[in-house]
Amino acid sequence: MPKKAFKVTAISLIIASMLAVAGCGGGKEDTAAKDTGDTTSPITFSFFGADASPNWNKMQDEVGKEITAKTGVTINAEYAVSGGGQDKISLMAASGDYPDLIFAKGDVNKLVDAGAMLDLTDLIDKYAPNLKKVYGDYMDRLKYSNDDQAIYVLPTNAAVNQQYFDAGGGFEIQNAVLKELGYPEVKTVKDFENVLKAYKEKHPTIDGQPTIPLTLDADDWRIMITVTNPAFLATGAPDDGEYFINPQTYEAQLHYKRPEEKEYFRWLNHMYNEGLLDKETFVQKSDQYKSKISSGRVLGLIDQEWGYSDAENALKSAGKDERTYAHLPVTLSEEYKDHSFQDTGFTSGWGIGITNNCKDPVRAIKFMDWLASDEGQVLINWGIEGKHYNVEDGKRVIPQEIQDKKINDASNFTKTSGIGLYTIFSAHYGDGVKDPSGNYYTTNFPDQIVASYTPAEKETLKAYGATTWKDLFPSEKDFPVKPWGAAYNISVEEGSDYTVTYQKTQDIIRKRIPEAILTTPDKFDAVYDNMIKELNAAGAEKMEQQYTELVKDRVELWGGTTEAK
Amino acid sequence: MEALTPNTIPRSGQDTAKAPKRKRKGGFWSTVLQQKYLYLMSLPFVIWVFVFSYLPLWGWTMAFQNYKPARSFSEQKWVGFKYFHELFQDDRFYLVLRNTLAMSFMGLILGFVVPIFFAILLNELRGMFFKRFVQTVSYLPHFVSWVVVAGIITKMLSIDGGAVNQILMALHLTDEPIQFMAKGNWFWYIVTGSDVWKETGWNTIIYLAAITGIDPELYEASRVDGASRWRQMWHITLPGIRSTISVLLIMSIGHLISIGFEKQFLLGNNLVTDYSEVLDLYALNYGLNMGRFSYGTAIGIFNSVVSIILLFTANGIFKKVTKESIM
Repeated sequence: MPKKAFKVTAISLIIASMLAVAGCGGGKEDTAAKDTGDTTSPITFSFFGADASPNWNKMQDEVGKEITAKTGVTINAEYAVSGGGQDKISLMAASGDYPDLIFAKGDVNKLVDAGAMLDLTDLIDKYAPNLKKVYGDYMDRLKYSNDDQAIYVLPTNAAVNQQYFDAGGGFEIQNAVLKELGYPEVKTVKDFENVLKAYKEKHPTIDGQPTIPLTLDADDWRIMITVTNPAFLATGAPDDGEYFINPQTYEAQLHYKRPEEKEYFRWLNHMYNEGLLDKETFVQKSDQYKSKISSGRVLGLIDQEWGYSDAENALKSAGKDERTYAHLPVTLSEEYKDHSFQDTGFTSGWGIGITNNCKDPVRAIKFMDWLASDEGQVLINWGIEGKHYNVEDGKRVIPQEIQDKKINDASNFTKTSGIGLYTIFSAHYGDGVKDPSGNYYTTNFPDQIVASYTPAEKETLKAYGATTWKDLFPSEKDFPVKPWGAAYNISVEEGSDYTVTYQKTQDIIRKRIPEAILTTPDKFDAVYDNMIKELNAAGAEKMEQQYTELVKDRVELWGGTTEAK
Repeated sequence: MEALTPNTIPRSGQDTAKAPKRKRKGGFWSTVLQQKYLYLMSLPFVIWVFVFSYLPLWGWTMAFQNYKPARSFSEQKWVGFKYFHELFQDDRFYLVLRNTLAMSFMGLILGFVVPIFFAILLNELRGMFFKRFVQTVSYLPHFVSWVVVAGIITKMLSIDGGAVNQILMALHLTDEPIQFMAKGNWFWYIVTGSDVWKETGWNTIIYLAAITGIDPELYEASRVDGASRWRQMWHITLPGIRSTISVLLIMSIGHLISIGFEKQFLLGNNLVTDYSEVLDLYALNYGLNMGRFSYGTAIGIFNSVVSIILLFTANGIFKKVTKESIM
């Protein structure tokens, strides 16, 4: 094709496409909040949730239908399949294509930086009396930062005034193992090791397959839950994500730098070299980990209940009740106390927000407000009266058959009833808070928790003289309230030096910690000390200083309410 | 096109003497007029390519800005080559570049030799049913997703009842089961091996098609001259599909650096990251996931530039050596 002709064609094409692009970029929706007074006409909100919700049933469950009937709202939800939806949210921020409502977890700062989130302060003030009531004194904790005191999300990941009645963490041992060994005292990692070793020697195989004394799940972020977080929990420090925060000076340091944690990892190294830690620990994926547990031949775990509950449910359905796990507060040595239950106050942080793509923010906030009302909270926690619970002498009671379904057929029950699917949509009280009728808002209260234990669990608890797992752990009353809440949900500015350094330190930690555990005992010190050097070389010290500032800022931002409890 | 040009000669013939330049112009427009339907038919594709392949290049400007989403172009801050500097100073970048190139070269070599070899062997098979059967079985893994393949591979190589270790133990080749997935320097081979298993059958199809295009008379003639089966393969089959091979090879060389990341992501674990992390994964972790869109774009530009250089070098070499070119 001759050159000139090509040019002409090209130019006309460019013009054509420019027109097309300009056409697309036309007028933005006016999202100014207007109260239409309308409260029940059908409306659909799109929603993205950053946590997987495999039982979501498109609001066709019983509770969902009731919510639609009362508020007119249908939620068109999409959930992250796994991994917190980080990529998806980044793409939303870049493309400007947001749903009406979003539960973005720690990535909400990306959306705030992109100007995608609506400030809810006025909306709450005008239209949401119930939200105000539930958050009460904690309203200050909803603010985004010292510089930007807007409210972008309603923290719904955490419940207000939550009291813990049950423990889901600590170190886990199969009930059958404890029973056979006559319920020995398990307080330190040495005790834990001895129990696993003794049982393994007695039973080298279970159901014909080799016994696995201890396995961990190091797949992606799960390494934090089962490998690195237990290091601070076993050495008497509370959960502040990757940091240890000095309660006096608020100075933050990577928790790996504490000398006592090095000793914890040395113990894991010892477990590996003794052949007690599963050789596949750092190679297996989460599904392999769970399939091992559900085969009933893993004696001990160091995990949180939600991390392996699928596998435990499989054990229950298979009738291997005795292979489910007991939770024990194990520490490195007697001098440390497990800080799992140190009170953070209301942790605030992650929650649901309204984006500026939402056509009717007033309806959205009213919807959330209704869910936060007494009626709404009872519905999402208890279900429908006469169906999922009955009122007897003014008390809400769950019929036995429903309770059985809840325990033994949990996922199907959630799918059909919808109980538990709607808590992330609005503010809600935690366990142990009573409504005006004198009943608890949630179904987790001591009697109900004991009722949900399996016979094997009850037997173990009885042997240790406790009624719930929590009775075995040091209580929150033993520790002061942390004025910064939980440091793991402090948001940081996107794309800053801090995030790059943080990612680099994570890469080093996730590579070197497994290496330190899998090496021979004589090389452990060298590998571990080298990791600390590498971390500092990657800029960890500067990062710790920056984080110290963030923690101090938060204490200041929350200043008004830290004394409230 | 050639067939249509003679028609235009009489019309433009009138002003040949006056202005040769104008003649060419007029020639073009009359060609357009003559072939207006052909032009019209190709127009949608030209627009399509322009909109989806050229227009997005505008986004490259992001690499030179401190890009923040949801701000207009004029509000962005220009930072020049800052992100490229950062990229070339990061040790990790060189590590992932090494991994990417190592795995793609290994994949390229085996991904070519094995399917060609397989295609020639299949072509020599006499039984039609058996040939079809083998072909179908061999290309089925292509349709299995990498997620599933990764699951199968990890299970096969597991020390906890994995088939490979059980075979090795039964043959007394090792006493202890081997942790294949925990050995960094084996990772490249595992990835390449699983890639060959998954894609060989599929890649064979195109060579088989090329082989059917070879004139059977050539084989008959060689048989008359007393050529053995091996001679026929070497002197007829292979030269017969040479141009197919070179076109595919040049195109794959262009894609060397962008090998995707599914395989590495799904098969990798914390113990082997030094060998498993590839460029695309690096761009995802250090770019998009942290909201550093500019940095991610800088990596993308680097990718494209390297691809173009590789493509042109490969094509240049082929042109010199074999007198064949795809451009």
